[in-house]
Amino acid sequence: MSGSLPLFFYVLWSQTSMNLLLAASGEKHTPLGHVLDKELLDVGIIGTVSMQLVTMIVGTIILLLLMPAVARRISTGSSAEGNERYITKGRLSQIVEVICLYLRDTMLVPVMGEKDTRRYFPFLMSLFFFILTMNLFGLVPLPDIQNIIFKFTAGNDHLAYIGGTPTSNINITVALALVSFVVIQIHSFRELGVLGFLEHMTCGLTKGPKFLWLIVPVIFVVELAGLFIKPGALAIRLFANMVGGHVLLATLLLFGADFYEALPFGGLAAVTAISGFAAVLITFMEVFVAFLQAFIFMFLTAVFISLMSHHDEEHESHESHEAQGEPQVVAQAAH
Amino acid sequence: MDQFLNIIAVASADGKKAPGLMDPNLLANITGIVVFLIALTVLWIFVWPKITQGLDDRNEKILSEIKSAEDAREQAKTALADYERELARAREESSQMINDARAQAKQLADELRAKNEKELAERMARATADIEAAKSAAVSDLHAQAATLATMIAGKILKREITPADEKQLVDESLAELGSRN
Repeated sequence: MSGSLPLFFYVLWSQTSMNLLLAASGEKHTPLGHVLDKELLDVGIIGTVSMQLVTMIVGTIILLLLMPAVARRISTGSSAEGNERYITKGRLSQIVEVICLYLRDTMLVPVMGEKDTRRYFPFLMSLFFFILTMNLFGLVPLPDIQNIIFKFTAGNDHLAYIGGTPTSNINITVALALVSFVVIQIHSFRELGVLGFLEHMTCGLTKGPKFLWLIVPVIFVVELAGLFIKPGALAIRLFANMVGGHVLLATLLLFGADFYEALPFGGLAAVTAISGFAAVLITFMEVFVAFLQAFIFMFLTAVFISLMSHHDEEHESHESHEAQGEPQVVAQAAH
Repeated sequence: MDQFLNIIAVASADGKKAPGLMDPNLLANITGIVVFLIALTVLWIFVWPKITQGLDDRNEKILSEIKSAEDAREQAKTALADYERELARAREESSQMINDARAQAKQLADELRAKNEKELAERMARATADIEAAKSAAVSDLHAQAATLATMIAGKILKREITPADEKQLVDESLAELGSRN
């Protein structure tokens, strides 16, 4: 509770500073203008080095610096420490531990079973924390701070080298979905074999009555499309949610800029205060969305992996779903 | 849709150079994959084994503690049952002992009373016999004295000296007569 008040004022300050900056510029802005990536270096046909790409690399470095320290604190020390070794020290470590424990025991094991959860836990958790870091990075107003700095130093209030949400870049979410796709396919071939994979792709109709062979090509095409649509949906869902949240934030903050010329100072201050306060509330919701979208991406990848497991394991997981309730609903939604 | 695309176009024109929202960027794709794979490798080697081990250790510790607590509770329940059983047995034994002691005391008292009564009866009988014997002796003695006295009186009356042999004969006759009367 004691930490939430400074956080509130930090968010209020950051959002208001963005708002005032936009209002002071007096230019016509669009909500998307604030969300879009910024090109830093054009490398020809390969593409461009952009602000969000730099953010992703920096975010990854921070993640890789933090997580080993967190892991050291979560791991149990030597037996000489007695019962103290079972206590996780540090808030970040405790949060990471709780998240890992909850996701593993409550969400993944009922869907994937004990064996597959152990096998894919490192991949799925890496995916989750990678996306979470990227999502949360987008909530830090780094581009706006740079805009303020460069406005007074270089006279350019559009300059920014780092910031933004890497997961609001479709190219990056596609990259992550591609990794998920590969892992899902490796798992399916490993579990089912080539013949089993083909049987799965035809929903087992080849073993049924002969007349069902007529619809086998149709089923195969649909299943084949499904292989790509599932990870594609993952990429688009994450991208759209991240863009949507930030567009909403920018829209709220742009009210001040929109009324800059039309309203006197008092009216402008009122609009700024109201829109700033609303943006603060939306920012808190964005924190939740950052966690939620990271979870959904990771969890649906787990569901897609489990769908490609043996039928007996599927049966086992379905029984577990019934016991769990909620994961079953999500698994069915993934179908 | 057109309006959306216009916004994107305006946004692209805004600022230094903003790529479109859906513009493909192969470099971003490749970088995304490479960066994630590097992160995955590092986390897989240095982070997740430790975290998994930590979670498992805690899980094991909690389960073992719960099991120990359950065992201790079972032991305590067994000990309590044993104690209560022992207590009940001790109570029963003590009760039995008290009853036995009471019975023994009663029996002893009865025996003592019977013995005393018997002794008393015997003493009374003996005393009665002694009294009877003393009475008989006294009566005999009295008879002898009376006979002697009567003989002496009779001798005086008859002026005749009675010899001790006569006296003895008279006494014996008197006693025999007295005995026949009794």
